Amino acid sequence: MKILIVDDFSTMRRIIKNLLRDLGFQNTAEADDGLTALPILQSGNFDLLITDWNMPGMQGIDLLKHVRADQKLASLPVLMVTAEQKREQIVEAAQAGVNGYVVKPFTAQTLKEKLEKIFQRIEGG
Amino acid sequence: MDDFKFINDDSIAMAKDLVATMERGDETGAKEVVDELTHIRESDLYQEMGKLTRELHDAITAFGMDEQFNKLAEMEIPNARQRLRHVIEMTDQAANRTLEAVESSLPICEEMGTRSRSLHADWKRFTQRDMNLAEFVDLAKQLDGFFTTNTGDAERLRDSLTSVLMAQDFQDLTSQIIKKVITLVEEVESNLVSLVKLTSGKSNKPEVVEGKKVDALAGPVVPGVNDKGVVSGQDEVDDLLSSLGF
Repeated sequence: MKILIVDDFSTMRRIIKNLLRDLGFQNTAEADDGLTALPILQSGNFDLLITDWNMPGMQGIDLLKHVRADQKLASLPVLMVTAEQKREQIVEAAQAGVNGYVVKPFTAQTLKEKLEKIFQRIEGG
Repeated sequence: MDDFKFINDDSIAMAKDLVATMERGDETGAKEVVDELTHIRESDLYQEMGKLTRELHDAITAFGMDEQFNKLAEMEIPNARQRLRHVIEMTDQAANRTLEAVESSLPICEEMGTRSRSLHADWKRFTQRDMNLAEFVDLAKQLDGFFTTNTGDAERLRDSLTSVLMAQDFQDLTSQIIKKVITLVEEVESNLVSLVKLTSGKSNKPEVVEGKKVDALAGPVVPGVNDKGVVSGQDEVDDLLSSLGF
């Protein structure tokens, strides 16, 4: 299981990376915005993308749209982890094809649940 | 005042006239010319002052009525104060969460060390065959307890460390809030600069700087500032998504 973590704050990337390691996912890579994340996604075989929304360069929502529009990446599961809590934004992310939405601040338990849900769906579908 | 020219053909003629009347010794005539000259000067001065006063008044009115400027004073500044107060609260919470986790972990480490040292001493006696059967039975019991306690303690330490890890999320969230305040401070600064330019006469048009569009995203919720139309937490996100068929 190879996971890309995208967030402009290195502190948050480290938090997520450590939580993932705790859950048994050791193979992670990091990027600080959508622009740097896209080439990494296109060049490596990633199984999951965890991304923030508000980032300089390319925002998470645009990264999600690029991923869904890319033939090779279209089916990549995407979990959004963001401080954006507006209803219309959550709806926008859902319409853009997000697989899970976690609002910051979140708990280790929440991240675990959402990941399990995504993996269940991958295995089921 | 710069465009007020006291020296012109009329005033030069009057000055010559003044010199001539004085040379003639015409006291009354000289006073009349001086009065006339003073009158010209004063009326120009008053006119100029009136013009300046009107300009200043217009400029100040334009500033005061500008929506952006009013919004800054009435909404954005109090909001910024609230945002910064929220940042203090968040850093306070993060520090307390971290300290609590450390304070609950330290005694666990302390006890673990004490137990290990005591058992290690007994274990050495056992390996040196300096222990009778009754003592060995007791040591076996203690070891069993030690393993059980350690398993539980390891779990408690792991929870505390996860708590410390999660507490660091304040850095991301408070930075997002502080960035918004910095944008506001820059906006206020630009407006003050144009106000200073205006009053020093270097510019006659107030340039009120528009709010930057980086504020398009709401960012972390600050109670009382941007908590309209937002979900209150993960449960509401889940409810909203499931209503959309997730």
